[in-house]
Amino acid sequence: MTTQIIRSLRRVTATPIPTASLALTTQYTPTISPPFLCRRMSTSPFRTELPVVEAPPLTTEPSSPAYLNDVRLPRAVQAVYLRPLRREATYDVPACDLQLRSYSIRNLEFFSDFALRAAYYLNLPAYGPVPLPRILERWTVPKAHFIHKKSQENFERKTHRRLIQIKDGHPETVEIWLAFLQKHAYYGIGMKANVWNYEGLGLGATMEKRAMDMKGDLDQRWALLGLEKGKISAEEAIEAINRESSRAQFGGKTPRLPDTE
Amino acid sequence: MSVPRTRLLDLMKVQCRIFSHTFNPEGLRLGNKVLRQRLKGPVLAAYYPRKISTLKDLRKAYSGPDGFEIPNDDHDDWEENHKIIKARGKGAPKKKRTAEESKKFKGKKR
Amino acid sequence: MSMFRAKKLDLGCFVNARVIRDHTKRKVFAEHEAERQALRYIIRNMELPARTRAQAQLELSQMHCYTRSTQISNRCTEGGKGRGVLRDFKMTRFNFRLNALKGLIPGVKKGIW
Repeated sequence: MTTQIIRSLRRVTATPIPTASLALTTQYTPTISPPFLCRRMSTSPFRTELPVVEAPPLTTEPSSPAYLNDVRLPRAVQAVYLRPLRREATYDVPACDLQLRSYSIRNLEFFSDFALRAAYYLNLPAYGPVPLPRILERWTVPKAHFIHKKSQENFERKTHRRLIQIKDGHPETVEIWLAFLQKHAYYGIGMKANVWNYEGLGLGATMEKRAMDMKGDLDQRWALLGLEKGKISAEEAIEAINRESSRAQFGGKTPRLPDTE
Repeated sequence: MSVPRTRLLDLMKVQCRIFSHTFNPEGLRLGNKVLRQRLKGPVLAAYYPRKISTLKDLRKAYSGPDGFEIPNDDHDDWEENHKIIKARGKGAPKKKRTAEESKKFKGKKR
Repeated sequence: MSMFRAKKLDLGCFVNARVIRDHTKRKVFAEHEAERQALRYIIRNMELPARTRAQAQLELSQMHCYTRSTQISNRCTEGGKGRGVLRDFKMTRFNFRLNALKGLIPGVKKGIW
């Protein structure tokens, strides 16, 4: 009963106008007892149209413990139990393609859901998650460590993929969204994003101007590094870089600099 | 009606300037494909995992009379197992000190 | 070889004389790759005088064999073997099988279909 009424609430709010920010009506919804709802996945296809119940008067006192059962959860929390809301894109111009890859489907589904919700709250029209074809890698390997080639064993690795596309997104907002997802990255999921920015003609001059504007920004940070002119000579710096221990710190990947002689 | 070659070449030159391509209408072999290749040194050099500090190093560093003792589960399991084996009488045989003791077959050779 | 070998070991995997050798080769190649590419470019550029190109050829041939990428071979990180090494896992077939059955390789399962 409780879940069915919640679903009708979702119906009311599913308007195509993107400006509405969780414009849910003030009609009464019975309280949600989370353990009961969790048994029903918010992504289940079950849908019913039921009449919305008028608000009955609160019978419990504010001081009594039963009062909490009569008070509803905040709308944003209620929204977590339902399918993620989407924004509508007016121009359908792709701004970002985010591909999520994982060896297991459950955490991938969860994280793509999380990404969609984050996009909604940032006002980004997100489309997806599109399930791209699964990548299947197979290896056939002899069971023994020496000869006995006739008895082999098959191993496989399935990589599941989901694609979330952001259309009509402002480049800075898209950056914020990607940074947010990176900050709250879920375990076992690899992310790769292709971002497109649309600029006018004369981009070279614009980029030049932006670089010049940003020139002074890092001066404060450089000063904090503590490297003063004349304190360490060039030879000393090169010797420090070429030292085995400091190169080993970087995994021995850095090439040695030639001595200045 | 046909366009003169110089005009086409000029057009190509402008296109290459705009899109940062190399202008080589005669197709001379200038070795640019070597310059285009990506450097794969760092990727190859990172093949083997680097040394990291393990529990073994920690134990070594903090051992001694006024150090700490970090429990070694694998070693403890082995010790327990070994005690059981020795109790059964299946432990390692005693080390032979002289050549005489280590002879496999005693008695006269035929 | 001894001039290139590091004084202190910086390998965390299985250590073998051959593994150390291969590791040294990789580091030396990474160091001299730019120089080698430059010489290769000089050799292949038809516009340069023939003498320069010949000189570059000579120099390239005189470089130490450790600077060549062809000397590098993928060895197993568990056993140090050079044969039967799978690129995806940096392990020999047998070691891969042992670790996969233990569940130590993420995502790999027995392929039954």
